Amino acid sequence: MNMLIRSIVGLIILIVLLIVPHFLEFHHQDLLIFLTINVLVVASYRLVTLTGEWSLIHAVMMGVGGYTATLLFLNYELGMWFTLPTAGLLSAAVAALLCFPLLRMTQFYFLIGSFAAGEAIRLVWIQFLDPFGGTGGLSGVSPPMIGDIDFMDPIPYYYLALTVVSICLFLLYRIEKSRVGLTLHSVHWKAPLAESVGVDTWRYRALAFITGSFFVGIAGALKVHYIGTITPNQYGIGFMVFILIWVIVGGYNKFYGPIIGVIVLTMFDESIRGFDEIRPAIYGAVLILSILFLPLGLESIPGKLKAWFIGSEVVEPPLTDE
Amino acid sequence: MELILQSIINGLIQGGLYALFAVGLVMIFGVMGVVNFAHGELVMAGAYTIWYLHAQQGLGYLPTVVVAVVLVTLIGLLMERFLFRPTRNDPLAGLICSIGMLFILQVIATLIGGEGPSKQVPPVFQGTLVVFDFLRIPNQRIFALVISVAALVTLWYFLARTKLGWALRAVALDREASALQGININRISMIAIGVGAGMAGLAGALMAPLTNINPHMGHNVIITAFIVTIVGGVGSLSGAVLAAILYALFHTFMTVYFGGTIATISGLLLMVLVLIIKPTGIMGVRISE
Amino acid sequence: MPILEVKNVTKQFGGLTALDNISFHVDEGEIRGLIGPNGAGKSTMFKNIAGFYKPTSGDIHYQGQSISGRKPHQIAEMGIVRTFQETTLFQEMTVFENALVGCHTRARTDLFSAILGLDKQKQRQAADKVMEVLEFMGLSERRDQLASELPLGSQRALAISIALVSEPKLMLMDEPFAGMNPEETNHMMELTRKVRESGITIVLVEHDMKAVMGLCNYLTVLNFGQLLAQGTPEEVRSNDKVIEAYLGGAN
Repeated sequence: MNMLIRSIVGLIILIVLLIVPHFLEFHHQDLLIFLTINVLVVASYRLVTLTGEWSLIHAVMMGVGGYTATLLFLNYELGMWFTLPTAGLLSAAVAALLCFPLLRMTQFYFLIGSFAAGEAIRLVWIQFLDPFGGTGGLSGVSPPMIGDIDFMDPIPYYYLALTVVSICLFLLYRIEKSRVGLTLHSVHWKAPLAESVGVDTWRYRALAFITGSFFVGIAGALKVHYIGTITPNQYGIGFMVFILIWVIVGGYNKFYGPIIGVIVLTMFDESIRGFDEIRPAIYGAVLILSILFLPLGLESIPGKLKAWFIGSEVVEPPLTDE
Repeated sequence: MELILQSIINGLIQGGLYALFAVGLVMIFGVMGVVNFAHGELVMAGAYTIWYLHAQQGLGYLPTVVVAVVLVTLIGLLMERFLFRPTRNDPLAGLICSIGMLFILQVIATLIGGEGPSKQVPPVFQGTLVVFDFLRIPNQRIFALVISVAALVTLWYFLARTKLGWALRAVALDREASALQGININRISMIAIGVGAGMAGLAGALMAPLTNINPHMGHNVIITAFIVTIVGGVGSLSGAVLAAILYALFHTFMTVYFGGTIATISGLLLMVLVLIIKPTGIMGVRISE
Repeated sequence: MPILEVKNVTKQFGGLTALDNISFHVDEGEIRGLIGPNGAGKSTMFKNIAGFYKPTSGDIHYQGQSISGRKPHQIAEMGIVRTFQETTLFQEMTVFENALVGCHTRARTDLFSAILGLDKQKQRQAADKVMEVLEFMGLSERRDQLASELPLGSQRALAISIALVSEPKLMLMDEPFAGMNPEETNHMMELTRKVRESGITIVLVEHDMKAVMGLCNYLTVLNFGQLLAQGTPEEVRSNDKVIEAYLGGAN
């Protein structure tokens, strides 16, 4: 019975995802593609946070993927079939190198260390005009053409992005639900206990960081192939903060929490278009209010409603382990 | 030689300003355990007050400096009361609230000053002190240096010689033990953030005539403050002051010889290096289970 | 045949000497009690054996091999598992998931087989092992409950289950009886004996003297970081130095 309901819900979601772009105007189709890519961004960030570490370098890792795809495309005319996985692999490689300094740190020190490392990478893009193009970045990347289908159009590109992101989400979900995912959780909640039964916490933190970077690298390549340009500022602390907001407002205790967060806030963002000047402040207020009044995120609302009707108690663990 | 001496002087003056805002960040972190990401925006708020009340509305510079300090202290107190106090047991939540505050302050600045090019505040103290015929120090910078040194000395006196300062340091060492000793944590937190924010506001007010003012100027401030805090040892005020001066000298020299971006990259790498050697910061304590 | 040999271990923190030239050995199949007043250095000793601390000087041998300086996870892999003071559990996970974490070293998995589902058989074996242990510890009824919802006695039993799943040869138990009522204590003593009968050597840090005297075949007594006495429970009970140390501690 449960299985049946799930299949039906899944089918409905699939149909909605497939037909939704045809009911949207051009501007919203554009937005839908960004939303699809951002879903991958937050889902991969969740993998990094599974071990309990909040990194501030995820946006820059996406940029690493984007620059990789851009340089491969511009210099060697390599198509998306090649740039996409390579972008992921290069992000993962950069993350692997960064593990050695960064994973020596935990909590705030990791947070600040990852922020510093990310800023350093971004400043390298700004400083070295060749090959990164400086503050102005690079442009001229285009999506592929397969037969008669021009992926420059939003609808075909949406289907392409949807396919890639769906595959990645499936893989991320498999990882989280596997014993590897369980071990990552165990590193988060009680690292000494995990160690005492033989878990190499360093290795698992590295695994989460590298794998998360791999997937966000792919997201970076997906984005640059659609918009065609890349600049260091697209991946600055501003974007990183948006990732944090999406994840936190959505709720990061469940796999789908951050995804709900990015979808709801993107729609919210659309609804406050026209207040461009004060938009960041509205975001800031939403962030503060959700931390103060809904610390487990939107994802926790159904449970709360249920508890309210049935009358049982909801336990709210703190964001960080004391 | 002349360039080197001139850079040293410039670096020292810069160092005084760095120390002003870094010390505030350290105090807030030490006493309340929260990383205030909006600290750069507090500096920005101080600078904007000068630009708006002094340069636009014609209020005298010195009174405006006082207004700036009071105003930013007030912002700090409000942040403690409404953001950090409710999230006291959860440092990450406090940090995220401060990010929210960062956006709000930036938007307020944009609303007051509008978009467009950075604002300038003309120097109040005209003239330049010339030493040995080749060292040129604008009076405005001398004023900034004198005031920041005076503020730091006052802070040192307050912390080292007064009972309240002693309580503050006790809370920074061990919050729970201090609470058991009957120290009122809420009151001490208010004082810490009040002093920390006030110093950030003062830094902003002193920097206003020396720098470009825009809603995003806090970004570089917070990066500098992080570098100084980590290199100086988290939780160590004297370490932060020393690191501020050394880093300002380092940054000034790097800027003169290699350009600003390379200077900042090296600063960030320096900080990562310190964290590699001492992953919990120089004064940090490793917490086991 | 000693399974564990502690040889002249000294541990200093700054100027403070927490362990001062301690030597003892534990034979296979023992239930060894490590006792002493508060601050005697028992927990520090445990942390040195389990790899959370590195001895300042001296050496620790396990099955004839030196282990001092190795990382906790490496030592765990060799068969030494530690349980914690209080109830250190993964509170947010179910009983079953808690114990499954213990399978880490015995049924290794990696990212790719996890994604591709290549390790189904291994997973099934891991699950079987977990159920076997939960059965053994009397927790199989509660397998889907959250760890945080368990009563104290069951939480301790779960802590031991996590350790057992990893199939250790030597188990370091840190105050498993703390805060228990007499009934719970009796149950726990029974469980501990069962664990020993399954072939696992146990070293126990404990304050509950009834449990220690009833369970252990041999005791090692520490006081202010020094080895005070060793012997059977009867010998230790009548040892003047031990009596003095405990009475002194009580004052």
